[in-house]
Amino acid sequence: MSSPPTRARPRLVRSLLRLFTVQGSWNYERMQGIGIGVAEEALLRDLRTEGGADGVAYRAAVARGARFFNAHPYLCGLAVGAAARAEHDGVPPEQVERLRTALCGPLGSLGDRLVWAGWLPFTSGLALIGVALGLGLPAILGFVVIYNLGHVALRWWALRAGWTYGARVAQALREPLLQRATALSGPAMALVIGAALPLVAQYLSSAFFGWARVALAGVVAGGFALLWWLRARLTGLRLGLALLAIAALAGWLWP
Amino acid sequence: MSLELQLLLLAWGTLVGLDLVSVPQMMIARPLVAGPIAGAMLGDVATGLQLGVLFELFQYDILPMGATRYPEYGPATVAAVSAAHAATGTLGLGLGALVGLITGMVGGLSLHALRQLNTRAVRRAAAALEAGDPRVLERVHAAGILRDAVRAAVVTALGLVLAQMARVYLAGALPPHGVALLNVAAVGAALAAGTAGTLRLVGRGPGLRWFAAGVVGGTVVAWLR
Repeated sequence: MSSPPTRARPRLVRSLLRLFTVQGSWNYERMQGIGIGVAEEALLRDLRTEGGADGVAYRAAVARGARFFNAHPYLCGLAVGAAARAEHDGVPPEQVERLRTALCGPLGSLGDRLVWAGWLPFTSGLALIGVALGLGLPAILGFVVIYNLGHVALRWWALRAGWTYGARVAQALREPLLQRATALSGPAMALVIGAALPLVAQYLSSAFFGWARVALAGVVAGGFALLWWLRARLTGLRLGLALLAIAALAGWLWP
Repeated sequence: MSLELQLLLLAWGTLVGLDLVSVPQMMIARPLVAGPIAGAMLGDVATGLQLGVLFELFQYDILPMGATRYPEYGPATVAAVSAAHAATGTLGLGLGALVGLITGMVGGLSLHALRQLNTRAVRRAAAALEAGDPRVLERVHAAGILRDAVRAAVVTALGLVLAQMARVYLAGALPPHGVALLNVAAVGAALAAGTAGTLRLVGRGPGLRWFAAGVVGGTVVAWLR
């Protein structure tokens, strides 16, 4: 096993910055693989002096880093750090490949629950409440700042944890704080969005009077029922376009 | 609307489109952010906020996982605000929603096309990538980001053109009750999409009770205001 690089922190920072672009070359063949390879390359540069003057070990590691990968973008750093550390520790190539493959599912599932179905709708719901209560632009600014505090912290934690644990990275996923955050994010999101919906309905319908309010209640109830029962075929976009087309036609024909 | 303002909106829409998937995913692509900033550029924050909230509800219908296809509501909201701004008092929300939803659909299709272009580029560079050439790796990645920037700019530009056309051909074509119907349809569809999307996320587990508690709390606050 080789000793860990002495200048790890600047390289971790460079890798983190590259991770912000991890999906820049997303494609149907390697998915995030190219972006992961670019982020990992910053951590593999010490290998250029190993495996001969032509950097065979370095090039082989870069090639492995750029193969298929797909997970939640904010947690990709865990795989980047772990794979790079494993390469430095001299872990056999097949084991590095298996490690990457094994991380895709858990990181995707964890990130979806924690961020897409938790932190993001939770903070966005708070901003909706703020706007509905008349806070205006400060509510939006608050959303961007608070959301990104969590976002950047998660990316940095993931990269550092991957780099610290290497091939034993599964331990990082059992961190109590992460478990607690995942367990809390769902109910918190549900509570906040639940509170936001009536307030937003009031905010958006403030200019509606008389028959328009009754019509709105009917459209919401009917639209929700259609979206719920036809969920495999009907999306919000299609429903919106269909309703706008019907409304435009009815409005045009209305004497 | 002046050319300078249109170019400013184009630049903002491009940044917003780039943020969705490529760089840096800090959620300026959320309609709730894209709309008010576009509104501020036009000196009409109120319209930006309203359309930002409206499209944020449509956004709740989407879970952006893996290779799933979904509409792109960031540049769409910028175009929607542009359309609604000039029509305030006549069409407002309804016209903005119409322009925004069409732009969002085009944005979604463009994402699929971009991914196909990226796939071809990766296949072309496969030999060098398998040889571990870092320069080729970085070039393929940078080209993907550049392609996405161009895509976002084109989608925003299409949206702004659509907004201009809607202002010219639709504003004034509908009677007042037709305008009200359009607004009702836009708000109703957004609320239905937001509720259905959230309930799909929440599921039938304990989260449903928290959701119900939130609805009750929000309703009480709305009633007291």
